[in-house]
Amino acid sequence: MSEWLESAIARAQGINDWLAPKRAHALELLANTKWPTRKTEAWRYTPLRPIERTQAKVISEKVALTPVSIADLSAIELVFVNGQFDSAQLPETLPEGLSISLGGDLDAAEQAEALSGFSAIKPERHIFGLVNDALAQDVVVVSVAEGVEVTLPIRISSLLSQGAESHTRVQVALATGSKLTVIEDLQAQGESLNTAFVEYNIAANARLEHYRFALQTGSNVAVGGSHFNLHDHAKMNSTIVGFGSELSRLDTDIIHAGEFADAKLNAMYLLDGKELFDLHATVEHAMPNGKTEENVRCIVADRSRAVFNGRIHIHRDAQKTLAELNNRNLLLSDKAEINTKPELEIYADDVKCAHGATVAQIDKQALYYLQTRGVSRSKAQVMLNFGFINELIDLMPNAALAEWIRPIIRERFAQMEVK
Amino acid sequence: MTEQIDKALAREYEAGFVSDVESETFEPGLNEDVIRRISGMKGEPEWMLEWRLSAFREWLEMEEPEWALVDYPKIDFQSISYYSAPKSMKDKPKSLDEVDPELLRTYEKLGIPLIEQQMLAGIAVDAVFDSVSVVTTFREKLEEAGVIFCPISEAVHKYPDLVRKYLGSVVPKKDNYYAALNCAVFTDGSFVYIPKGTRCPMELSTYFRINEQNTGQFERTLIVADEGSHVSYLEGCTAPQRDENQLHAAVVELVAMDDAEIKYSTVQNWYPGDENGKGGIYNFVTKRGVCHTNAKISWTQVETGSSVTWKYPSCILKGDNSVGEFYSVALTRGRQQADTGTKMIHIGKNTKSTIISKGISAGRSNNSYRGLVRMNPGAEGARNFTQCDSLLIGDQCGAHTFPYVESRNPSAIVEHEATTSKVSDEQMFLCRQRGLDPEKAVSMIVNGFCKEVFKELPMEFAVEAGKLLEISLEGSVG
Repeated sequence: MSEWLESAIARAQGINDWLAPKRAHALELLANTKWPTRKTEAWRYTPLRPIERTQAKVISEKVALTPVSIADLSAIELVFVNGQFDSAQLPETLPEGLSISLGGDLDAAEQAEALSGFSAIKPERHIFGLVNDALAQDVVVVSVAEGVEVTLPIRISSLLSQGAESHTRVQVALATGSKLTVIEDLQAQGESLNTAFVEYNIAANARLEHYRFALQTGSNVAVGGSHFNLHDHAKMNSTIVGFGSELSRLDTDIIHAGEFADAKLNAMYLLDGKELFDLHATVEHAMPNGKTEENVRCIVADRSRAVFNGRIHIHRDAQKTLAELNNRNLLLSDKAEINTKPELEIYADDVKCAHGATVAQIDKQALYYLQTRGVSRSKAQVMLNFGFINELIDLMPNAALAEWIRPIIRERFAQMEVK
Repeated sequence: MTEQIDKALAREYEAGFVSDVESETFEPGLNEDVIRRISGMKGEPEWMLEWRLSAFREWLEMEEPEWALVDYPKIDFQSISYYSAPKSMKDKPKSLDEVDPELLRTYEKLGIPLIEQQMLAGIAVDAVFDSVSVVTTFREKLEEAGVIFCPISEAVHKYPDLVRKYLGSVVPKKDNYYAALNCAVFTDGSFVYIPKGTRCPMELSTYFRINEQNTGQFERTLIVADEGSHVSYLEGCTAPQRDENQLHAAVVELVAMDDAEIKYSTVQNWYPGDENGKGGIYNFVTKRGVCHTNAKISWTQVETGSSVTWKYPSCILKGDNSVGEFYSVALTRGRQQADTGTKMIHIGKNTKSTIISKGISAGRSNNSYRGLVRMNPGAEGARNFTQCDSLLIGDQCGAHTFPYVESRNPSAIVEHEATTSKVSDEQMFLCRQRGLDPEKAVSMIVNGFCKEVFKELPMEFAVEAGKLLEISLEGSVG
């Protein structure tokens, strides 16, 4: 066990609040969890040294931070500053049928419901999920009432100041037939450490549009996850954009707990310098007639390292499942590294599943073609890289977000000098 | 600590132990004395014994691998006998009448000649039968070409320099748990050396290796193809072999020197156990080849037997322009479990590898492909293509794919594709419409599914493999 984990456990033991049973349970599991090493399959390519030697500390005094604004996007801002929920930044009135509250402010029955939601969705085997269980100050509970379609997106921002440590947790419940858009965003200054988990319970016929931007770079450590529980005829569409940092790890878990659910996941990550980004995308088809489509694209430059694990697990009862995973990677430098592992684990026979993975570099002929047309080599590279990612940006349902992220990505490419 | 020293001191000196090979079967158990006895039995030189002992010491420190998707009761390594001499004539069945009729029916379907049936069923036939003369002709021909093909225990004496140089050079002693165990206790296996520039005049097969039929459970094979040579090697046969040993942990090492080519084909059809998976063979094999410049190694396997298979024939593409290939059909039924695949390690420039894996699961079986493709920083211009297809027959089986792709060279190209589906209703309908019964239809569809792999097998093998699948699938349909 690492010193860091020991101190985290010690800190959690001192907390006594409504989440106490949950914390105790997490601590019990943590006591039996080995600190991951290279031999731990889930952390095989992602060394935890940056966590072991982190200097990040919990900052309890109030710091005023506000999220960067996105042009043409008006959203309901749900803000955490250094791990503390800043309710002052919430709008005074929320659209009808939408409620956002801190778990501690709920009545006992609602708290009990929130607590039961935890274990139903979260994978307890994730060591930092357990750390988050034990250390998250509170849980923000978002719920949408039956049949309500919320037009304004909710933006969950986690803001960290220099050297801060933060653990945030949000539960989002979409009742039957409701509709919601959620944007998860992390904006961290240097040397920080953050674990951020959001759990979504998507009831029958409900629809979730989801974005997660992990644009932290540099010496930040960010470990987090988005967990989706889909019921009958539920739909989700998720887009993930990631830049790497010293250590960035994201777990997305999609669970088909009802029939005829439909999940789409488009993820792209662009790494430079010595960054590392590790995406573990798991899909559990527990019920029949589900559909999953995943597209993951990744570009690594300089000395960066990308890790992808795409697991599709089809349970015995999940007949008539359609699942597809497509993973494409561009390797721009001879010091960069791509480790990818698309997995299929299938126990039902009447299913159609496929995955594909490729690792290559920019098509030399395409590059040559552009150069013969008078485009400089470096510009041609940016164009081709951008084209590779842009196909996924084009699929983003929210136009304002797509317009916002496009120049950010273009800028990133311009910086990625091809060696 | 002192206890261990006392134990060591109290032990009798047994290195010089010599015994009568004919009558010996060891008591179950594994310790250094057992290894000394195995080595003594074979009259091995000191270096060989030392090698075995150091492997054994490594093995003691190692942990049993648990990452494979297979489930079986823990093996008690102390309950296994590590040496059993060839069965004496009187223990064996006297004629085919005493053999399980089920086995005979299978032989019949595979079209195996009577004399071979007797051999496969382990009947006490005098060694003087037709095939011996065949063997002799083969031997003469091989000698003419300068090819060495003999039991490895013989090679240890006759060609110690070659064995010493290459044994453990591809699969190191502590490579993995079962390989280490094999190094310590292997009893026999084949040794092949093809001299420079020689094309082996015939396909070599364990089947024609004279002098021993019972290689035991820890088989060791070493094939060295010197510069510019070529050899095709066949292992196993399609007929279900009678076998008394439950645990098999073989090691196969291939060395392809510059411009050499080795083609290694396996058909494995060991006892898969009864319908509850009881009593089947555990097949934990380490197979690996190293390719030097311009060399090529091609693995082809048809795996239908064993209750648990754990096998990853691999290629280390060390030399520039070297080529590795892996073609596999793995069929599981009943309660069988197979976790098989390959590793392609690209080190040299312009190295190429192709992986075609076809998994068929029926009954209550589980079939996994597990593979690794690694492009090292120096693998300039390297190329890999992988295709893994799984076919499910029945709703109680499982088909899994675990491919690892690691790339560190931007000019290397890796492509991986995998699909999983069942025999489609349309295909079945089409076949049935044309008057085929369901069983025939499935076997035809499965054969088509495996065609890409079968075409890599030597012709006779390919025909037999097709028949074997057909027989294995019997009763899985409907």
